[in-house]
Amino acid sequence: MLQLRDVRVVIDGHEIIRIDELDLAPGSRLGLVGESGSGKTMTAKAIAGLLPDESKVSGSVIFEGQDLLTLNDREMSKVRGKRIGFVFQDPARSLNPMMRIGKQVSEAIRIHSDLKGDAVTAKVIDLLHQVQLPEPETLLRRYPHQLSGGQQQRVMIAAAIAADPDLLIADEPTTALDVTVQEEILRLLISLSEERKMSLMFVSHDLGVIRFVCDRVAVIYGGNIVESGRIEDVVAHPMHRYTAALLAANPGMPKDDNFSAFIGKRLQTITGSVPAVGKFPSGCRFRNRCLSATDACSTMPSPITTGNDHRYLCWNPGDRGQS
Amino acid sequence: MTSLVEVTNMYFHYPRARIIAGEAAWTLEDISLSIQPKSTVGIVGESGSGKSTLVRVMCGLLRHQQGNVKFNGKDLSEFEGDGANDLRRENQIVFQNPRRSLDPRMTIRRSLSEPIRALHNRQPGDDEIIATIERVGLGREVLSRFPHQLSGGQLQRVGIARSLSVQPTILYADEPVSALDVSVQAQVLNLLMDLRDQLGLTLVMVSHDLGVVSRMCEEIVVMRHGRIAEAGRTDSVLARPDSNYTASLLKAARAASLERA
Ligand SMILES: Nc1ncnc2c1ncn2[C@@H]1O[C@H](COP(=O)(O)OP(=O)(O)OP(=O)(O)O)[C@@H](O)[C@H]1O
Ligand SMILES: Nc1ncnc2c1ncn2[C@@H]1O[C@H](COP(=O)(O)OP(=O)(O)O)[C@@H](O)[C@H]1O
Ligand code: SF4
Ligand SMILES: [Mg+2]
Ligand SMILES: [Mg+2]
Repeated sequence: MLQLRDVRVVIDGHEIIRIDELDLAPGSRLGLVGESGSGKTMTAKAIAGLLPDESKVSGSVIFEGQDLLTLNDREMSKVRGKRIGFVFQDPARSLNPMMRIGKQVSEAIRIHSDLKGDAVTAKVIDLLHQVQLPEPETLLRRYPHQLSGGQQQRVMIAAAIAADPDLLIADEPTTALDVTVQEEILRLLISLSEERKMSLMFVSHDLGVIRFVCDRVAVIYGGNIVESGRIEDVVAHPMHRYTAALLAANPGMPKDDNFSAFIGKRLQTITGSVPAVGKFPSGCRFRNRCLSATDACSTMPSPITTGNDHRYLCWNPGDRGQS
Repeated sequence: MTSLVEVTNMYFHYPRARIIAGEAAWTLEDISLSIQPKSTVGIVGESGSGKSTLVRVMCGLLRHQQGNVKFNGKDLSEFEGDGANDLRRENQIVFQNPRRSLDPRMTIRRSLSEPIRALHNRQPGDDEIIATIERVGLGREVLSRFPHQLSGGQLQRVGIARSLSVQPTILYADEPVSALDVSVQAQVLNLLMDLRDQLGLTLVMVSHDLGVVSRMCEEIVVMRHGRIAEAGRTDSVLARPDSNYTASLLKAARAASLERA
C-alpha cells in the first residue's frame, strides 16, 4: 500500500534522506528504528508532505497507487488526515493548549466529513471511547493540561483516526510515558490496526517496543534504510552492524527471569555519536562508528535480500552473537 | 550498620493539594524505608505515584508533615544554618530533562562552578573544573559552550558532573535517561555505574524502566498511590513479586522489552 522508491530529500545542499526502497503492506505494522538524528521523523514527514519548504524532494512515494510526491498542497492535505493519520512525538506540543479536547477532535472530524452538530459530538464521544478514555462526555470539555500524558496521547490518536485512515504514522508516541501507560497505548495501537485493518508505521528508538507492536522493521541511519525484514528475523539475526549495535545497547529484561545475573552488568555502547547533517561519511554512513568496517565500506553497499524479504546494505554483515 | 537515610512512618502532602482534596489526601502515606551506605536503590511505580516527591523529601527539598526522616542518624529538622548547606551538599539530584535543569544563558563552566560557589562559598579553580568535566567523559572544550550547543547525552553528563562537583555522599537520579535514546542511555547508565563504584556513592534512581533498575540497583522500592507497594532485594522482588501491582509492572515491562542474557 505504501512504497518508497529512490526517495531523496536535500536541504541546504545536504542529503538528509536517501531511501532506495521501503515497503509497507496493507494491514501490516512497520517499525522504523534508529537513534535520534538518524532520519526517522524526516522520513515520516516526507511521506506526509510536511517537509520544510526549502527541501528538494525526488523519487516516488506511492500510496494506494498514487504518487504522493506529484500532488499539490491542496491534494496532499486531503490525503493527510483522511487517508493517512499522524500522531507526533510530543502530545503537549501537538495539542492546542487553549482548545478544549472535544473541539480538537471535532475539528479533525469536520475537515474530513459532512457530519454536523450533534452527529459530530456523538462521533467525538465514540472516538474517545475507542481510545479507551474514561467518561468521554465530561472529558471533552477539558483542556489538554487537565489530562495526563497518556490521556493526551489517546486524544491525539482519537484525532488521527477520526477520518478512518488506511495508514497511521505514529512518531515516538510513547517515549514520554511510563511503562504501564506505554503498554496500554501500544496495545491500543495494535488493536486499532487490527480492527480497522489499518496499516501502522511506528517510529521509535527502542527495538523492544517495536518488537511488541510491529511485524516488520526498517532500521534507519544517516537517512538510509540499512536493514529491513520481519522483526523476529532482524532481532534474532541482525545483519547490518548498526542494527546489531542498536540491539546490544538496549537494556532489555533478563532472560528466564535471571535477575541476579543481571545486576551490575554494563551495557554495550555504540562508539561515537550520530554526526550532524552533512557530516556523515560517504559510502556506508555508519563506517566511522563501525567496529567491523573494511576498505570496501567507503563505497555504498549494494542491497542483499535473503528469505522473508530480509534486506540489508552492509559489506561485512553478520550478527556478533547477540543475545 | 547505621542507615544513611532512615524514613519512618512518613506522611507528606503538597500545601494546596490537601485542602482541595480533603483531610485524607496525602501525596506520600506511611512511608518507611532505609538506605544503606554505598547501596543502589531503584524507585519504580506509575506516573504520579510519588517517586519524585519521595526523593525530594528524602533530600530535604520538601518538608514532610508526619513521621521521621533521618540522614546519617540525624533528623532532617536538625540540619539548620551551616547544617542545611551540608545536607544539600551531601544529597545531590540529577533530573530527567538535562536541558531544563541547566540555565541556558550560562556557559557550562559557569554552571559547573555554581554548586561549589553556593555550597562552599568559593570559586573553583580551573583544574578542579577540568577534572570535574573529564570525570564524566567530556573534554574541556565543552566548558566554553552553552547548553543549546550540546546534545542531550552530553547535557546529562554535565548534570551529573555538576552534582558530583561537591562530593555528595548520595546521588539521587530522577529518570536520568528517559529523555535520551537507547544508545545514549547506555552510555549514561554505564557512566553512573562506573562513578558509583569509583567514588563509593550511594545511588538512588527513579526509573520507569525495570530493565534498567534490575541492572543497576540491588534494592528496589515499588510505589503506588503514594505508598510503598513492595520493597526489598531487586532480584527476589522481581523474580517472585508479592504484590500484584509489581507483577503487573513486570508484565508490561516484559511485553515491550527485548530479552537479554
Ligand atoms: N508542586 C506540586 N504541587 C501539588 N501537587 C504536586 C506537585 N508536584 C507533584 N504533585 C502531585 O503529587 C503526586 C505525586 O507526584 P510525583 O511527581 O512525586 O510523581 P512521580 O511518581 O514522580 O510521577 P512521574 O513518573 O510522572 O514523574 C501527583 O499526584 C502529582 O500530581
Ligand atoms: N527542518 C530541518 N531542516 C534541516 N535539517 C533538519 C530539519 N529537521 C531535521 N533536520 C535534520 O535531519 C536529520 C534527521 O532528523 P530527524 O528525522 O528529526 O531524526 P530522528 O527523528 O530520527 O531523530 C537530523 O540531522 C536533523 O538535524
Ligand atoms: S558496510 Fe561496513 S561500515 Fe557499514 S555496517 Fe557494514 S561493515 Fe560496518
Ligand atoms: Mg524524531
Ligand atoms: Mg517524577
